[in-house]
Amino acid sequence: MLRPRVIVCLDVKDGRVVKGTQFKNLRDVGDPVELARRYEAEGADEIVYLDVSASKEKRGTLLDVVRRTAETLFIPLTVGGGVRSADDIGPLLRAGADKISVNTAAVNEPEILSIGSERFGSQCIVASIDAASEDGMWRCYTHGGSQPTNLDGIEWAAECERLGAGEILLTSIDQDGARSGYQIDLTREVADNVPIPVIASGGAGKAEHLRNAFDKGRASAALVAGILHDGLTTVGSLKRSLTAWGIPVRPIQTS
Amino acid sequence: MRLALLDYGAGNLHSLGKALEGAGAEVVITSDWSKALSLSALILPGVGAFGAAAAALPQDRAPIREALQGGFPCLGICLGMQLFFENSEESEGDGISLVPGSVELLDAPVVPQMGWNDVEIDDDPIFEGVGPLIGYYANSYICVPDKEADTIAWSEYDNRRFAAAVRRENTWGMQFHPEKSSAPGRRIIANFVAAVRGMS
Repeated sequence: MLRPRVIVCLDVKDGRVVKGTQFKNLRDVGDPVELARRYEAEGADEIVYLDVSASKEKRGTLLDVVRRTAETLFIPLTVGGGVRSADDIGPLLRAGADKISVNTAAVNEPEILSIGSERFGSQCIVASIDAASEDGMWRCYTHGGSQPTNLDGIEWAAECERLGAGEILLTSIDQDGARSGYQIDLTREVADNVPIPVIASGGAGKAEHLRNAFDKGRASAALVAGILHDGLTTVGSLKRSLTAWGIPVRPIQTS
Repeated sequence: MRLALLDYGAGNLHSLGKALEGAGAEVVITSDWSKALSLSALILPGVGAFGAAAAALPQDRAPIREALQGGFPCLGICLGMQLFFENSEESEGDGISLVPGSVELLDAPVVPQMGWNDVEIDDDPIFEGVGPLIGYYANSYICVPDKEADTIAWSEYDNRRFAAAVRRENTWGMQFHPEKSSAPGRRIIANFVAAVRGMS
């Protein structure tokens, strides 16, 4: 039985994990290598690094962080943020990332999805979509949620799959940071419309929200960030609640 | 003891290399087949597409197949396991033809199979001490061995049972990624390294 996944996202800037709102007021909260390991021990099913420095500053340190992480992390690692061309994918995979997520670059140059999947396999190409409910559509945004496009999230997700993406990381801009639950309608519409796994993102506040993402939203995975980093809950606690409700998440395995 | 980690030129070899080193092996990353077969064991990693990996195999598959048939230790992961078979629906190119059978597209509403799936294991030294196993998968294709006896572990996806692991002589293939399957996966890698150590 395939287990619904609980994925932990860490925002990384200049080699450190940071916390803030909408890319502003960033505070240093620790070493990504150490935090990723701790989340694996707590039962996280995957780790995502979102390099928030990528588009603006130098990103050479990211490869080093990925390399050091892969030395001690034995669950999948996805790296996103600032992957601009297909040539950026190889070095990240070689450094130890299992999957690469692309957002702005896929909108600007959709071939990055087809080239990436042909070269490395679709299982390592994640299309990241940031969408907001606007004008009767799910409007996609690029550049960390700051620039609107004319793309509709449902159609764009289907196009990303056709181009070769193996998974959709779907973030609701409206719900991001609100901790009042994932955008279930958006999640479900995309999940029902693409034949690849969908990761619900944006809005996790408590275990019930993950349950809704899996049950009502038909998500294959749920992304969690702020509530863990703020110490409001733990991966173990989320998974215990989900298990009690009959959601077959992977039990925490110890060595 | 030096193990050859075969480099097809694409993807993440780093974490698998580190898992092998963590089990006490020295890892040599190489794309040179004759060099690989001169070391203690061969690891075929699970990254990339079948066609690209098949193109990285030497034109004449016989020396590799004969080495593996003769007991040369080998671990193939995901795509690496698929290379043990004759051919794949994914793309052109022949595999090593060590295990009779084919590689077929997963016929399911959601593909790739992405995530953790339960693995039902047979009694085999590679699984010693692993306990209840949930493996991490990221695959769109599955192996279909002709002979049931070649399969040593099973998983189920969309109500279809498929080979999670196969074995021939000292060659093991895993469709899931032990190097990504947390502590139980690391134990599998340690068991492989221990098996190689016992043979060399």
